[in-house]
Amino acid sequence: MQTSVDGNQSSNEIAGADQNILNLLDSMDNYLILVDSLSSSLRQGWLELASARYSMGASRVNSSLFDLKSHQASTTLQVDNGGIDTELPCFTLCKWTSSDEAKLEEDELLKNKSDSPPVQHLESEERKAEESGSPVTANNHVEKERFKSLSMFGTLVSPKLRATQSTFETTLETLVEMSNLRASLLCAYDHVQKDRKTD
Amino acid sequence: MYGFEALTFNIHGGYLEAIVRGYRSGLLTAADYNNLCQCETLDDIKMHLSATEYGSYLQNEPSPLHTTTIVEKCTLKLVDEYKHMLTQATEPLSTFLEYITYGHMIDNVVLIVTGTLHERDVQELLEKCHPLGMFDSIATLAVAQNMRELYRLVLVDTPLAPYFSECITSEDLDDMNIEIMRNTLYKAYLEDFYRFCQKLGGATAEIMSDLLAFEADRRAVNITINSIGTELTRDDRRKLYSNFGLLYPYGHEELAVCEDMDQVRGAMEKYPPYQSIFSKLSYGESQILDKAFYEEEVKRLCLAFEQQFHYGVFFAYMRLGEQEIRNLMWISECVAQNQKSRVHDSVVFIF
Repeated sequence: MQTSVDGNQSSNEIAGADQNILNLLDSMDNYLILVDSLSSSLRQGWLELASARYSMGASRVNSSLFDLKSHQASTTLQVDNGGIDTELPCFTLCKWTSSDEAKLEEDELLKNKSDSPPVQHLESEERKAEESGSPVTANNHVEKERFKSLSMFGTLVSPKLRATQSTFETTLETLVEMSNLRASLLCAYDHVQKDRKTD
Repeated sequence: MYGFEALTFNIHGGYLEAIVRGYRSGLLTAADYNNLCQCETLDDIKMHLSATEYGSYLQNEPSPLHTTTIVEKCTLKLVDEYKHMLTQATEPLSTFLEYITYGHMIDNVVLIVTGTLHERDVQELLEKCHPLGMFDSIATLAVAQNMRELYRLVLVDTPLAPYFSECITSEDLDDMNIEIMRNTLYKAYLEDFYRFCQKLGGATAEIMSDLLAFEADRRAVNITINSIGTELTRDDRRKLYSNFGLLYPYGHEELAVCEDMDQVRGAMEKYPPYQSIFSKLSYGESQILDKAFYEEEVKRLCLAFEQQFHYGVFFAYMRLGEQEIRNLMWISECVAQNQKSRVHDSVVFIF
């Protein structure tokens, strides 16, 4: 009987170790797919930027037009360093928040941190849409923020420059996804290392 | 012949027409572009260009090259040729040649004003200005807070002064005002250039009317497409269209109310010269519209050289030179980014 129980325990351990290895390999595979996707979208973005410069002229699309006045970031990254329930850090992208909303979110974040366990934050426009029940309003807000961000190159910009903006936006999302995946990859690696040591 | 220009043109314009036709023969051919498109690095491009008219401008540039360096040096060549022609020209050709640069002057003014609004260093902005559009007091633009000051402090003594009457306000400069100022100035400039060419008469008037009308129509289409989905109202959009061209006035009425690319296509396909351009695009597509317009422009500019004894050849050469620089910029970017498969997306062959 004892031998059978011990046998069951060790086969469970082996199954657990195999699962950890599978998790590691899955995470690695997904990570490499994202790396490839990132490379591809960056290449596309840079070429679209060159195309926008071809279309609008070099004097309208160049780095000397970047706005150096102090202003709130329209897109922020929130890092949740993990808590009681999870050891993984969590990266969340908040896209296209206006300056007023950025301050509001910062206040809410500080308030939530002072309470109990940290909560993952949705993108601000999605939360607003859920509260107001109006996805159209949220989309209009996002479009306004996009327009405002591109206005440093002029208010009448070519569709190619807007396509460039959209591509780099996708790139940013991929980067955040990669960060989250890397965190889970490292965690899976730690589990595999632990299993090897116990063996 | 329109006005018996053959009898008198060569007295004052013969030498420079010969010079500009010589410059035209130095433009890159399809064979040159094919060689350039096969380059692996920017140094290869420099090596291929060393056998062309650009050779002396690039030969002293150290490696590693940058795409902006290639564009800058090629632009210098065009500027030198322009200045040579301007110094040799007499009236009215000298005024005609100066008109060609006013578009660059407007771009430079807007660059300085926008950069200043964004708290950029003036020296840095001056380095980015197009050399054909430079004037003495350009750096003083940085102190102006609104258009009235812009005009009073700087632009009143420049050739752009007459174009400011339609856009002088005391409102502070912001991104939207600057954009409207840019397009209003350009509209006034095109109309003034058109009237000047009409006054010259003869073959110059005939050929330049066609070229400037095409420019006005292209700007109308670009303004329409670029303003879709923005805060620019229909009335403001209509005000930015020039008061001449094939699309004036009925095409402009239709373009002013367009809300998407398909409506723009619908408005433009009623005009046979533009039907061929829009037939190359699939529905909803606008990515290759620029190339299609540039190809049509190059065709018309090359046709200007088929006739003698008119000033249109000077305008055509400068525009073809600018197209050549755009081509070199695109090829350099594709080579630098290792995306040679996309090089033919935007190169417009001149010959």
